[in-house]
Amino acid sequence: MADDRRRRPALAAGLSLPAAAAIGLGFLLPVLWLARMSFNPSDPDGALREGWTLHHYAELLTDSFYGELALGSLQMSAVSTLGALLVGYPIALFLFRLESRWKTLLVLLAICPLLVSGVVRAYGWIVILGDAGWINSMLRGAGLIDRPIRLVNNHIGVAIGLTESLLPYMTLSLLAGLGRLDRGLEEAARTLGASPLRTFLRVTLPLSLPAVVLGCTICFMLAISAFVTPRLLGGGRVFLLATEIYEQALLTLNWPLAAALAVAILAMFTLVLVASGRLQRRVAE
Amino acid sequence: MLARLALAAAALIAAASTAQAQPAGEITVMAYAGIFEDKYKAAVIQPFTQKFPQVKVNYFTSGNSAQMLGTLRAQRSSPQIDVAILDASVSNVGNKEGVFARLDPAKVPSLKELHALAMVPDGFGPAVTFDHWVLVYDTGKVKPAPTALADLWDSRFKGQIGLSAMPNIQGIAATVLTSKIAGEDFKVTIDGAMKRLKELGPSVQTFDPQPDGYTMILGNTLTVASGWNARAQLYHDESKGRLGVVFPKEGSVFQINTINLVAGSKNPEAATAFIEHALGRDAQKRFTESMFYAPVNAKADIAPAAIARTAASPENMAKMIPLDWGWVTTIRDAWNNRWRREVIAGR
Repeated sequence: MADDRRRRPALAAGLSLPAAAAIGLGFLLPVLWLARMSFNPSDPDGALREGWTLHHYAELLTDSFYGELALGSLQMSAVSTLGALLVGYPIALFLFRLESRWKTLLVLLAICPLLVSGVVRAYGWIVILGDAGWINSMLRGAGLIDRPIRLVNNHIGVAIGLTESLLPYMTLSLLAGLGRLDRGLEEAARTLGASPLRTFLRVTLPLSLPAVVLGCTICFMLAISAFVTPRLLGGGRVFLLATEIYEQALLTLNWPLAAALAVAILAMFTLVLVASGRLQRRVAE
Repeated sequence: MLARLALAAAALIAAASTAQAQPAGEITVMAYAGIFEDKYKAAVIQPFTQKFPQVKVNYFTSGNSAQMLGTLRAQRSSPQIDVAILDASVSNVGNKEGVFARLDPAKVPSLKELHALAMVPDGFGPAVTFDHWVLVYDTGKVKPAPTALADLWDSRFKGQIGLSAMPNIQGIAATVLTSKIAGEDFKVTIDGAMKRLKELGPSVQTFDPQPDGYTMILGNTLTVASGWNARAQLYHDESKGRLGVVFPKEGSVFQINTINLVAGSKNPEAATAFIEHALGRDAQKRFTESMFYAPVNAKADIAPAAIARTAASPENMAKMIPLDWGWVTTIRDAWNNRWRREVIAGR
């Protein structure tokens, strides 16, 4: 027994070595390289030089555009996460309670958008939301509008597309979290005379809060780093941190600034994770 | 005896020089994907390998010009690519960083036949194609056809315009041309252009057509868009004339692709031979006639029908607005910021 205990740390270290090596080589090293890149000076034409400067971080802090960018990214992520929660919660609750042989199939249906690439889904939204798309055609057919409403190539389109792309993740995390919900508690509340609404607000919702926090954390992280959906549905009008990194890295060739932005996103990630961890603990209490 | 020795030496030198003139081995050429790749392989690479059967040419694609430079930067210590064709504003950065090597004029005699505009300072890789900014439109829906950039302000195009904004280099061309409409010198100020483009903003459906304006017009999402002539001409033919191509009344701006020898190439002989071939009259003629890039070789004898569809026709050439892409890199950030704040956000 004592012998066992002594051997365990070595065993644990040995077993975690492959994973540690994979993370170190595949994640930590590139992140360190990125952090180093963010301190390199760059010429206005994009030419790269070796050296040390805080110029790019100073630019991020002093140029109001980057402040707006960060705020815009936070807003867009919050809106689409909330959207995914509002749509995903009833779906998850329904699937959780369903007692039918079709349950597995329906759960699969809820997460099957993950099988289709984000690019394809974004193009699908262009077809639906475009000026000549289904929604505008229906509204026009019903005589409600005479000029198409712009639902894509702006913030609305990106918010809709992002919400949809987050939905499977939200539904899955909620379903996993709802597993702890004891149906007996709901039944007890009903027998004691609580209305369905009251049962939901006082029993179901509080018990599912850990799942809500988990789902929102995952979705928020995915949203703030989302690139394909904003790029395809934004029409060049939606400036977010992720699209800005793409532009700086792959259009204006300012790798150090792109790296500094990436480091900034990473810092935001850490803050969100810490906050969500605290929230999770408080909710659990 | 001495004469015989000299003769033998001369024969040896001659043999050595012919051996040198026959490149062999393998080279990798990096350039654009898609239609460019298909046409370039057929018009330039195949004739090259027929001429030099000992050389194997690989074609490598890596996204846009900036991504190509990224690939080359990553391979600095051991380049896998020998020749790169990419946008002049990006290759200019590569020249500065030492990613590309200077060409030996003795081994690239075609350099003497190039247009003055094709030459790059300090002996680096010159232009290999000229393209220019155009308007494209749906000939089925837009009547009468637009003839000028200024026509876009017409209310009939409201909500149906695809205008590639900065930092896409089409946005730079659009700024230069709008400055001309506003009657200002873009080298001094672009205030007038910004004011006008801001007015146009709400009419623009997208500032970043995906995947591009030509496809969006043919997919019925837009009726008019900005584009580059060569691809526009190909889409014109592919759509059997449904996509119309307009050389704007205001004129146009050249987009230049350069051909570059990668520094540290493992087969510089074959790579240089390929560059000479690509700049030569024959390859220039074939590629212009198949893809409508204007030729850089002034001596290339190109079919008049193809020339008329490029910027190289005399009447188009007279309307081209000179733009120094090296200068552009110094003002790019400032213009980009103004596009974002004034034109796109409409502030």
